[in-house]
Amino acid sequence: MRRHMPAYLKGALVLGVFQLAMNRIDWWSKSAIDAIFGPHPEQAAQAAFVMLGLSAIALFARVSSRWYIFNAGRDVEYELRTVLLHHLHTLGAAFYRKMSAGEIMSRQGGDLLQVRLLFGFGILNITNVVFAFASALQVMAKISPSLTLASFVTLPLLIGVTRSFSRGLFSRTRANQEALGRLSDVLQKNLAGVRVVRSFALETREMWRFQEANKSYLDASLSLARLRGLMGPMVGATSAVGVLVFFWYGATKLLSGEISAGSFFAFWLALGRMTWPMVALGFSISIIQRGRAGYARLKEILDAVPEVTDGPAEAPASLEGTVKVSHLTFAHGARKVLDDVSFEVEKGRSLAILGRTGSGKSTLAMCLARLLPTPAGTVFVGGHEVCSLPLGAVRKTIGYAQQDAFLFSTTVSRNIGFALENPDNEEAMAQIREAAGEAQVLAEALALPEQFDTVVGERGVQLSGGQKQRIALARALSWEPKILVLDDPLSAVDAKTEAAILDAIERQAKERTVLLITHRVAAAARCDQAIVLDQGKIVERGTHQELVRAGGIYAAFAEEQSAKSALEEIDIDSLPPPSGDVQAEAS
Amino acid sequence: MTAATKPKKKEETRAEQKLRAFHEEGAFTKTYDASLVRRLLPFVRPHGKYVVLSLSMLILLAGTSLVRPVLMGDVVAKAAAKDSSALLFDGVALAALVIVAQVFGFIQMYTMQIGGARAMADLRATVFAFLQKLELRYYDRTPVGRLVTRATNDVDAVGELFASGVLNAIGDLVALVGIVIMMLVLDWQLSLIAFAAMPVVGLIVNFVRRRSREAFRDIRTKTARLNAFLNEQVSGIAVVQAYAREAAMAKEFDEINDSYRDANKRSIFYEAILDAAIEMVGTVCIACILWWAGFQKVGNHALSFALVVTFTQYIKQFFEPISLLAQRYTILQSAMSGAERIFQLLDEKEIDPEPVAADEAGPEGPNDEALALVDVDFEYKPGVPVLRDVSLTVKRGEKVALVGATGAGKTTITALALRLYEANRGLVRVLGKDVRSYDRHGLRENFSVVPQDVFLFTGTVLSNVAMSDPKPDRRKAERALERVGALEMFLRRPEGLDAPVDERGANFSAGERQLLAFARAVYRDAPILVLDEATASIDSDTESRLQLALEAVMEGRTAIVIAHRLSTIRAADRIVVFHKGRVVETGTHETLLAKDGVYARLHRLQFAQKRVEEPTLAVG
Repeated sequence: MRRHMPAYLKGALVLGVFQLAMNRIDWWSKSAIDAIFGPHPEQAAQAAFVMLGLSAIALFARVSSRWYIFNAGRDVEYELRTVLLHHLHTLGAAFYRKMSAGEIMSRQGGDLLQVRLLFGFGILNITNVVFAFASALQVMAKISPSLTLASFVTLPLLIGVTRSFSRGLFSRTRANQEALGRLSDVLQKNLAGVRVVRSFALETREMWRFQEANKSYLDASLSLARLRGLMGPMVGATSAVGVLVFFWYGATKLLSGEISAGSFFAFWLALGRMTWPMVALGFSISIIQRGRAGYARLKEILDAVPEVTDGPAEAPASLEGTVKVSHLTFAHGARKVLDDVSFEVEKGRSLAILGRTGSGKSTLAMCLARLLPTPAGTVFVGGHEVCSLPLGAVRKTIGYAQQDAFLFSTTVSRNIGFALENPDNEEAMAQIREAAGEAQVLAEALALPEQFDTVVGERGVQLSGGQKQRIALARALSWEPKILVLDDPLSAVDAKTEAAILDAIERQAKERTVLLITHRVAAAARCDQAIVLDQGKIVERGTHQELVRAGGIYAAFAEEQSAKSALEEIDIDSLPPPSGDVQAEAS
Repeated sequence: MTAATKPKKKEETRAEQKLRAFHEEGAFTKTYDASLVRRLLPFVRPHGKYVVLSLSMLILLAGTSLVRPVLMGDVVAKAAAKDSSALLFDGVALAALVIVAQVFGFIQMYTMQIGGARAMADLRATVFAFLQKLELRYYDRTPVGRLVTRATNDVDAVGELFASGVLNAIGDLVALVGIVIMMLVLDWQLSLIAFAAMPVVGLIVNFVRRRSREAFRDIRTKTARLNAFLNEQVSGIAVVQAYAREAAMAKEFDEINDSYRDANKRSIFYEAILDAAIEMVGTVCIACILWWAGFQKVGNHALSFALVVTFTQYIKQFFEPISLLAQRYTILQSAMSGAERIFQLLDEKEIDPEPVAADEAGPEGPNDEALALVDVDFEYKPGVPVLRDVSLTVKRGEKVALVGATGAGKTTITALALRLYEANRGLVRVLGKDVRSYDRHGLRENFSVVPQDVFLFTGTVLSNVAMSDPKPDRRKAERALERVGALEMFLRRPEGLDAPVDERGANFSAGERQLLAFARAVYRDAPILVLDEATASIDSDTESRLQLALEAVMEGRTAIVIAHRLSTIRAADRIVVFHKGRVVETGTHETLLAKDGVYARLHRLQFAQKRVEEPTLAVG
């Protein structure tokens, strides 16, 4: 705001010029009329020319005033949005659990809009109304104070009327939005549950639910329309009453010769110029209130304190790829997710982390790169305590590829080259292709309508879960951090592809330290060491052979997977047809 | 290349060009498309009386706006003539006229809204009903969000035609023509002088209109992009942070944010010019009139002050609607593209086919047959067979367990029986009749379905049990709960059967939800039960409870159970084993185990899985 002061001052200045020009125009029109209906009609021409010149000045001033002030409002909006994203980037999981994406989006949309209106429209109108009042009042009061008072009878009413309408409009618009939200919700649930609806033959019930929501949206929008429809006539009628009072009372004065025709005319013009600023004043008061409320809601995001921040130490020139975890305990609220976990991985070695769903594997992986508030003194990378280092240095060293294969709505190449500084040059493209090949998604990427330039996501090409997962894996592979942490990269991949991908991961492991979170023993078998987590504790550790022999969870996993592959291996075409006739067999 | 002709801040990379093309594509539609309007008409017609009333009000309004300046001039004329009683009369008349005009204005606006909003509600209902008829295959490849947008945002865009008074342009046009005629009649010379400024205004409006329309369109695509980007930053925050890409993303965002601001600033500029031009043109006209009036007076021609007042008022009224043109144009355009998208959906051909006639249907099955599949092939996606050559018969009253690994095709069997999908080849019969000869609703009434994830909706226990009835029968619901042995358990809640059920049944345990679903099946009392057993492990107490309930539900009915638990499998009369889309074995638990084939291996796998899941076994 302060930075934009010059723009606002310029805007205010030209608004002053504008209203001054309008004031002069009123006076010149008075002299023109008085000349026309007086003894020297030829003088009207001169007055008319001056008016034309003044109009040109007023036009220029009016355009400039909007240009300066509205632009400043847009600049404020731009800056706030930049700051907002910057701050959102620093906030962690705890914040996003509290505030949903929808809520954040509604604040950056609706609330920011209100703030922008305050800094654009609001400031313009408040400034304008002061100048307009001064400029018009000078004309009116000078012509006839009593006529001025009479014409002003409706002014407070006008401000009051617009203000209450503006308030009502805001609340009914919100109610209307909510009704629309409920309607979307009904639709969303119906369509997402289309299988259930049809299986249970619930179409009638759904139709009824929809009609209900449809009806209440209709009612809400008509109630908004009623108010909107009333506002024009009410404001119009109120201001027209003011003009009528003037016309009647002014005409009486004209009749008695108290004022001249020119004065009558100039007064009329001046009064006309007052109407819109007064209407706008009513709106502006509400805009200021809403702008402040909107800003307060934005502040809630901007004031949220990031739970993970840079450590005090300088970033070392380079960090070695060693990982040491010592006595790491981590809790979500009262529930311990990790309980006294300790292990070490040397540079260039690989470690598999196994465990059932909910055993704390992902939490452990996220603690390494401080994607969660890692307790101080528990995780060391290259001999440095992670909490003491700048975040950027830690996260660039420990690459964590999350389980949920989230892709951005951009091209395939941009998704894979997400971590590359310059994803568009030749060298990067070669790297992207290579990564796609390693993740076994190259052929599919090339089969897309625009190959690597295909835009993916809701509005672009839809990919299957497996394809998404492999693109996300390619993204991780093209990254090349010192320590690569892969969180269950194979859950939606078939056995044949899995083997090829594991080869690629093994090649990766030659160049960097790899931590592989998985529930597949085949993947774990290729790592140097494995640990098994259960309820947040390390319950088994060793090499594949050792663990299979130990007969614990790891062995159970191995057994399950060998049973699964035994089943998979049955060749369907070599089987004899089911014994006897299926149809006849009903004993 | 185009980039060379138009200097840019920075050379765009290929990916950036593609992205820009992607986001700006579809931004162009025809402004007015008669065929779309024709298709909208049937929705408006039932509410036509409101629209007609509104339009006639527009004409009346135009009339009052023509009379007002004359009356105002008359007030001044009466004043000049020192006729005070006539002055009073005129004053009252003017007041009455203003009030009448405002009343007309309200009626006009409100009736237009009623007609429009109701027509849009009908359109929305049509879209909804259509969506209920679309084949499931369509849903498999279309994001739900897009379909929701059709029935909400797109319909609203069309509704703006009525809501924001685009149709009022008709009234404005009448008023404009009227004003011109009135002015010419009153004094043609003065009119020509007043209109002298018109060409200039015309040029300005024309100059601004095109550019401001482009700016509006630009703002729309930029807003969409801005929101999409931010939304993704929020939902993908974990990826951004893990890859330490905050700075790069902020830079990318800055470009979008900046071009959004630029588009807005352009629009501000044109809007400001238009606004100022319209505001000032009145003053210019008045100056012209005054000059002419002075000129006339010098030549001793008569020209009254009243006429000057009347003309000034006409000029003020003349330019008001013109200032709205650009805005209305944009609304019209987005309404048209909304309508286009809606009708594109309604033209979709993949809707559920009507029941076929008896002679086209396959041969009927024997009387005691509940469900039969004959040589059925099926695929969800072309080239990926899910069922191959499957034949299977279930007799009335028989209890059959379908077993097999994930993806073996068990669930697809039930989907075909309910005719959620059509078989690619072969015949599916329910109660002896080809499924294609049934009315869909009638076919599905033969089934009680208990899906794997029990589907509870917001309401009460009672409304959930009695889901199939529009009016829940409390006694029947109680009996159903009692049959599955859960009545006592649900009555224990303070509100009893009226206990509220939260969204997705979050306030009930997995076991309670399952029992509720069983009770629902008993309440529905359909001849065939289709049960997709939940895979989640439950404690043994609940398990034995569910076992009893399951037996109660199956009693006296044909049951097709996609079974995971050994106890369920053993309760079946017959086991059908699926493997990679085929039926490979059939028999009882003992005979199949003895065979040491697919079933035996499945059994071992399940046993191993159990060991992985059960902590006590694993740790020991």
